[in-house]
Amino acid sequence: MGMISSQEKAAALAAVPLFAGISDDSMAHLTEVAGEVEFPAGQFIVRQGQVGSGLYVIIHGLARVVRGSTEIASLGPGEFFGELSVIDQEPRMASVEAVRDTRLLAVASWDLLRLLESDPALAQNLIRELARRVRSAGEHHHH
Amino acid sequence: MPLSQPELVNTLASLSLFADLSRPQVEQVAHRMSEESYPEGQRILRQGFTGSGFYVILEGEVAIRIDGEERARLGRGDFFGEMSILLGEPPVADVVTLRQLHVLHLGGPELEGFLREHPSVMFRMLRTIALRLRNASRWRS
Repeated sequence: MGMISSQEKAAALAAVPLFAGISDDSMAHLTEVAGEVEFPAGQFIVRQGQVGSGLYVIIHGLARVVRGSTEIASLGPGEFFGELSVIDQEPRMASVEAVRDTRLLAVASWDLLRLLESDPALAQNLIRELARRVRSAGEHHHH
Repeated sequence: MPLSQPELVNTLASLSLFADLSRPQVEQVAHRMSEESYPEGQRILRQGFTGSGFYVILEGEVAIRIDGEERARLGRGDFFGEMSILLGEPPVADVVTLRQLHVLHLGGPELEGFLREHPSVMFRMLRTIALRLRNASRWRS
């Protein structure tokens, strides 16, 4: 697979709900700082317990989220992970493993934090997403 | 008894949620939010009911109860009500005062504009919610 063009990169980022409604400046900056990475099937993208270095957005492929030995979610194009470690700089709570050959865009912690500070729309999208996950974690717990 | 404006500003400035704000910004927050007091035993948010707000505790303590079972307690500097507002869903817990409670209140529809105006408060809130998510996830596994 060849590298994607910056237009493709911008289009892929624009399709991610987390980045909906952010300013043109933020989107341009994000496109510039997001690096393309690729993982073959079976390889770990991030490992539980490691200190996180950034946020990943899946462009193509499929990955699974594993905590301990339990699979807790699978993630496809447009879905993201790694944001918690960016916010609190704590070790990663789960591993993410490529199930198929998977291509992602990676945004370094430092770049994401700068964007969060400068663009309230991004912070707002993220806070809603985290709130939604807290609720759904709580609901699972009840069952 | 309500605090004087300078007392209120000092109190707010000492809370971690507002720790990154300048003095004039804290004054703005004090002006924007309304001070309220509730007696012991009062339900401020009701599980499953709409109509809510965002509350920051200045003094006192509340219990978070789901189906009558206590899940957590919150005290000075803690906040509640933001989850329902952010998600546009009714509260999933009752919030009940354990003793006299003194809070700052912001109406639900105002919260998002307020956070946009004060990105550092939004970031502090983001970190708190991230911590809750970590705790909730640990609980689950």
